[in-house]
Amino acid sequence: MKQVVAMLLTVLGMAVSAPMVAMAQSGPLRIEITEGVVEPLPYAVPDFVAESAGAQQLAQQIARVVAEDLTGTGLFREVPREAHISQITSFGSPVQFADWKAINAQALVTGAVSSDGNRVIVKFRVWDVFAGTELGQGMQFAGTPDGWRRMAHKVADQVYSRITGESGYFDSRVVFVSESGPKDQRVKRLAVMDYDGANVQFLTGSNALVLAPRFSDDGQRVLYTSYETGMPRVHVLEVGTVQSRILQGQDGVMSFAPRFAPNGQTVVYSLTQGSNTDIWAMDIGSGGVRQLTSAPSIETAPSYSPDGSQIVFESDRSGTQQLYVMSASGGEARRISFGQGRYSTPVWSPRGDMIAFTKQNAGRFHIGVMRTDGSEERLLTASFLDEGPTWAPNGRVIMFARETQGAQGSSSLYTVDISGRNLKRVRTPEGASDPSWGALQ
Amino acid sequence: MHTGHYISGGAHGILILWALFGGMFRSDPPEVQVAEVSVISEAQFAAMMQPQAAPQLGAEPAALPQPQIEEQPPEPPVQDAQPTPPPEPAEPEVSDPDPAPQPVLPQPEPEVVETLPQPPAPEPVPEVEAPEVALRPIPRPAPRVAPEAVPEPAPDAEVAPEVQETVERSETPDVTDAEEQQATAPEAATTEIVTEAEEPARAPSASVRPQVRPNRPAPTPPQTETAEAPSEPASAPEASPPAQEDTAAADATASAIAGALEEALSGGATDGPSGPPLTQGETDGFRIAVQDCWVVDVGSQAANVTVTVGFDMDRSGRVVSSSLRMLAAEGGSGSAVETAFQAARRAILRCQGDGYNLPPEKFDQWKTVEMTFNPESMRIR
Repeated sequence: MKQVVAMLLTVLGMAVSAPMVAMAQSGPLRIEITEGVVEPLPYAVPDFVAESAGAQQLAQQIARVVAEDLTGTGLFREVPREAHISQITSFGSPVQFADWKAINAQALVTGAVSSDGNRVIVKFRVWDVFAGTELGQGMQFAGTPDGWRRMAHKVADQVYSRITGESGYFDSRVVFVSESGPKDQRVKRLAVMDYDGANVQFLTGSNALVLAPRFSDDGQRVLYTSYETGMPRVHVLEVGTVQSRILQGQDGVMSFAPRFAPNGQTVVYSLTQGSNTDIWAMDIGSGGVRQLTSAPSIETAPSYSPDGSQIVFESDRSGTQQLYVMSASGGEARRISFGQGRYSTPVWSPRGDMIAFTKQNAGRFHIGVMRTDGSEERLLTASFLDEGPTWAPNGRVIMFARETQGAQGSSSLYTVDISGRNLKRVRTPEGASDPSWGALQ
Repeated sequence: MHTGHYISGGAHGILILWALFGGMFRSDPPEVQVAEVSVISEAQFAAMMQPQAAPQLGAEPAALPQPQIEEQPPEPPVQDAQPTPPPEPAEPEVSDPDPAPQPVLPQPEPEVVETLPQPPAPEPVPEVEAPEVALRPIPRPAPRVAPEAVPEPAPDAEVAPEVQETVERSETPDVTDAEEQQATAPEAATTEIVTEAEEPARAPSASVRPQVRPNRPAPTPPQTETAEAPSEPASAPEASPPAQEDTAAADATASAIAGALEEALSGGATDGPSGPPLTQGETDGFRIAVQDCWVVDVGSQAANVTVTVGFDMDRSGRVVSSSLRMLAAEGGSGSAVETAFQAARRAILRCQGDGYNLPPEKFDQWKTVEMTFNPESMRIR
């Protein structure tokens, strides 16, 4: 009997303690983290190894361009070379991760350059220092000595892609209007440059006013508006030969604000007949045109969605300039902007998820972004005059023109991250406006 | 009593004297400023009030004297030293203010030749000679100093000045068989003392971790014990009928207890970690340590991905790198998920330092971790 009582007491005690045990966690420790830090990721790019006699300078230049590309995004911070503990003396030698951990470099780019005078080979690897593994596979590019900057941009694109998981935008070009001379006698010409302002080349002379150039997706053609005949007309220019022709030849009619469709065969533009401006589309091959809007108001600045199914444009049909979206074949449009002020120059993001625009409100100009349904509007900049946004090929950065106030004011190109950070001026030899960012080459 | 009268009288007297001699009733008027004026006639006044006529433009002003230009410049001072010719001005770069547009030559397209093979793995770091964990220290025998060095004697030899080998009785009789003797040897000695300071350091890198509190006994055995317990009395069922009744009752009780135990212990406590759970503060400390290293690119597609990472840890609080694995991901494309996982992995590895600060006595609670990185609140809106 005593045994039974003792066992009953034991069971009672365990039954009481069982809930306490159950209160303790079962299985692994589970933790949720909802707050991180927003800061540039530290990385290191030691000078690339020169694997041939004459490649020393080229190796340094390529490594510097790679570092400038990455640091210029605002997403990365280069650990200065003076802080490096390890030196990369051979491309094939193993990486001493402890040395790079010690200087808090989270990513490491190693590379080597060889040249025989006519052909340059650049090879590189990207390392995750703290995981002690290589990100992706090593890769090498070959090209001519003249193309060393492009090779450096391609290396930077690969590094960017492997760390962020998104494509880069360094090996891309921008067509823009180069401006020179005083404000009242300004000379405007079309020019093309690398995304960072290098390698500027002119596409037109200074005999006629030109406006609003737009790259085709393949970067081989440029649409623009020219006053060559005294009336604004849409022209198309072949970049390789610098030959241009009027795209729409109807006399007495103004056409402007052109933009290519993603298929490269259709052009959408504005056409003014009398006092009414509507949006039209033209098939370049056949020359056939069709009218997409027929409101008595001014509709202009059309821009296709990346899949070519929709068009965003500006219209004052409600009394002030607002943004509207319609089908690429025309028809009923829905208004997407409802904030205070005037909205203009909408551009659809290459990702397809956002629309960039210019906004004028309370005497200030802004560059902003919003969802394609008009929600989540955010203004990224503010100044005396910001206008004409254009997206980087990866939809991460916006370039636009900023003009300073006063008689001596001039226009320059700027870039800003869609998070509103990292506002930077693009170095151009002269004034610049109306940028259009081409696709990744 | 008349103090007040005296004071009043004195004061009035002083006041009267000041009024008489202090100048209060002096009759000198204050000085008045006098301006001198002149009297003019009415005609003069009328002439003054007439409007003045504008000055008449005179004839052409005389030409200003022009500076004389010397025909011959003055001779430069003669210098003794031979003058050196000025440097030739650099040829200015001829720049066309309006260069004609040139065909934009396509830039040379770099070609991807090949992907490179996997690089060699880094050489392993050589192990240190010092033991990782020091055992209980053993006292060093103090060396004995003697004029001549004596080797270490056999363990079973007695200390004696003479060396004597062990002599045992042999099985086979021998004439020369010596008497059985115990081995002896002189005590070990050395000619000089070598201190620890002169020996290479063999300090351990870590000491023995304090012994943890023993875990609670596993609760599973009682189930089998209680199940087997009734079988013992069943071996002698016919010994006494009353004992058989007791056995049946005990059997029923035992089965009831076993059932109650099973019910009480259900809930996974048997397959979960034992020991006390982490406190909220300990969990928060761990979470904050990792989130300080979690770099979020708020504008990227990876910011739309919530990723859960699992990993194991050793007793020192360090992450077992090879155990890092992605358990789940929600939102975003494949590349965005991979980027989010890399960022989470970097955060876990980068902030561990020499090990996360977690209580060693609760190792069972945190030896396996599932960490979810949710950037929803950080996304740009």
